[in-house]
Amino acid sequence: MNIQRLSALVKMELKKIIREPAYLFLMLLFPAMLTLTFGLGFGSVSSAIPGKSQFETMVPGLFAYACVFIIMTVAQVFSDDREEGLLKRINVTPTTSGEFMGSHLISNTLLSIIQVAIVAIFALIMGFRFQSDAFGMALAFLFIMILSICSVGLGLITATIAKSSGAATGLSFIFILPQMFFGTFIPLTDTTRPIAMFLPSYYATDAITMILNGVALTEINIWFDLTVVLIISVVIVVIGMGLFKKYGKA
Amino acid sequence: MLAKMKKSRTKDGPEDVYDPEHGKAIIIKNLVKKFEDVTAVNDLSFEVKEGQIFGLLGPNGAGKTTTINMMIGLLKPTSGDVYVGGYNVKKSLKSIKKFIGVCPQHAAIYKFLTGRENIELFGNLHAMDKKELKQRVDELLEAVTFTEASKRKAKGYSGGMLRQINMLMALVNNPYIVFLDEPTVGMDPRARRKTWEFIGSLKEQNKTVILTTHYIEEAEALSDMVAIIDYGELIAIGSPKELMEKYEAENLEKVFMKITGRRIVEGI
Repeated sequence: MNIQRLSALVKMELKKIIREPAYLFLMLLFPAMLTLTFGLGFGSVSSAIPGKSQFETMVPGLFAYACVFIIMTVAQVFSDDREEGLLKRINVTPTTSGEFMGSHLISNTLLSIIQVAIVAIFALIMGFRFQSDAFGMALAFLFIMILSICSVGLGLITATIAKSSGAATGLSFIFILPQMFFGTFIPLTDTTRPIAMFLPSYYATDAITMILNGVALTEINIWFDLTVVLIISVVIVVIGMGLFKKYGKA
Repeated sequence: MLAKMKKSRTKDGPEDVYDPEHGKAIIIKNLVKKFEDVTAVNDLSFEVKEGQIFGLLGPNGAGKTTTINMMIGLLKPTSGDVYVGGYNVKKSLKSIKKFIGVCPQHAAIYKFLTGRENIELFGNLHAMDKKELKQRVDELLEAVTFTEASKRKAKGYSGGMLRQINMLMALVNNPYIVFLDEPTVGMDPRARRKTWEFIGSLKEQNKTVILTTHYIEEAEALSDMVAIIDYGELIAIGSPKELMEKYEAENLEKVFMKITGRRIVEGI
């Protein structure tokens, strides 16, 4: 792994987000608008948990959703680069697949963290309060990172299937919508919960909810969630990288 | 070969890896590429000497880009062998990538980056020393009078400017072997002329250039050797002068007409 190549690619990917208005909108405005909308809409609605508004119960799910949403960005970026012939061009330099994929994992995880930070800032403005200590926050951060890496893997799978950038946007919703409805901020029912149990965002949201509500970090369910989300993420990233390397570059 | 591979693992610069056999930068032996029932390249064999500008001519669909793609490892041959800089493409592509530069047919450029940033990015992908990279980028931009324009984002460039940056990106790592696939398409006559001068200067630096082009006068002006391919087969090879003498023609265009019965720009 050559650090110079890796950092050059990460910088380039970050510049793309900063300099392209469409990506910048998705990254900055979308999470802000989503949090504000939910804050205004559900901030005064009581939830099943005494003393908590519906919005406050949704915030952990909004964090997870911010990570899930990068599936679309990743799929678009890879499809765009493939259409422009940039993947082939990079392929004839000494850059390895590991460096190329690694740069995307780093840049997109960074973007995800920024999006989650935006959600956190607007959630605080709308009255949400964190009830965890520094260790808890660090653990919640770890869940966010793992879920982001998983989303990069799903983005790669989408880019492999999609043959154009436009198709990638549409296809990405195959992975975004189920996670949005069954694994993030929308309350689950007895019918939707069995579906949610197949989705990584469900476990991340479940654990972040416990952590941010001040549940002790010794709680076994938090660590069970971490194990599940980690296993699912590793499997998805390996599948995503493998598929993209074999079928997605052409 | 083992010694060469060991050498390439220990060092990273093109000068540590490049090792052509007997002054032959490229050797192609019985190369075949089939796409299902279509034979794009059929039993192609030729050699390119070090420091030559080698023109690969042929109409659209003749198999020029397919041949180049097999030389640079983007396509696997159905059969046959390609040796680039002394290495077999099938076995030692990693080493080859260190000393080649590739300018693709369609300008593959990050539009949100400036021209300079695009060139620097590819220098970094070749792990060039920072100081050396800056100096090299300055030299390249000056050579094509692009220094001022290189500060602007590529999004605002004309087609000709994009092609110039496309070519500079292929040269940033100071490659020994340069593949230029239709480098002047879309350029105005002035920019094209300037690019010809630039490609000519690569020969003075003893670089081997593989040039594909539709512009027959471009190949005639620049190439030391020309190979004409049609329907994936080699139909003539020699210096422009030799070919013109052999086929008693005034120029390469007429050579092509005599061999194939049609003009090169008509395609298939």
